[in-house]
Amino acid sequence: MNPDDTKLSTLLRKSRVSPPLPPRFQEKVWRRIEDAEAPAPSVPGLSWLDALAALVLRPRFAYATVTALALAGILLGVYQGAQTAKQNEQARYLALVAPNPLR
Amino acid sequence: MNRSLVILLGALALGAAVFAGSYFAGQRACVAGLTRSADDLSWLREEFHLSDTEMAHIRQLHEGYMPQCAKMCALLAAKKTEVQAALGDGTNVTSEAQEKMTELGELRAQCQAQMLRHFIAVSQAMPPEQGQRYLAEMKRLTLGFHEEIEQSMSDSAGHEHHQP
Repeated sequence: MNPDDTKLSTLLRKSRVSPPLPPRFQEKVWRRIEDAEAPAPSVPGLSWLDALAALVLRPRFAYATVTALALAGILLGVYQGAQTAKQNEQARYLALVAPNPLR
Repeated sequence: MNRSLVILLGALALGAAVFAGSYFAGQRACVAGLTRSADDLSWLREEFHLSDTEMAHIRQLHEGYMPQCAKMCALLAAKKTEVQAALGDGTNVTSEAQEKMTELGELRAQCQAQMLRHFIAVSQAMPPEQGQRYLAEMKRLTLGFHEEIEQSMSDSAGHEHHQP
């Protein structure tokens, strides 16, 4: 068999029967390609939660928040502690100079 | 449960724990540090911004007053025991019990008068403005308590009178 025989090649190509394409085949193919390339649809109420969770997990944000909370807690605690200590000292003086039976 | 929600709830709990821990640590450290002083008059010095000379004078007055106060307290305690004995387990107030209660009231009034005299003396040992503030505060803390009770009693009595 001679591979350069063009007559024979033409005959062989014609003998191979290709099935007809379904209707609107090309349009359907393009639609599938567009759907695959489009971003995933967002579930309402979920996107901002995800964004917030991502923010919380960022080390810089996490360290800054923990530091701020610790500082705020210490400051408030010291302020309250000073008030309590002052009240304790006042009660101590009062218990000496004006014991309960005298009040 | 959603992963993001779990992360956020965990972060919130951690934040609350950090804040609460820092708050209690700060408060405890402050209370322990500030109430470590053994001086009973430290509150006066801090609150009324007194100098060493003023404190020395006030300390002298305080030390002179304390034995008198202790004596009065002992007399009051003894009179209270007498009132209790006179009242006994009875269901009516005898004339003896009433007499003892009158004596107790008189003794309490003497104690309060002595206490007020001491407060006035201490207030005079302070700068005028601080002295006035001290005296007002002492009156409020010692006699104000009775006034509040009497006020609440008269309020409730008035309220009852309005009821049909």
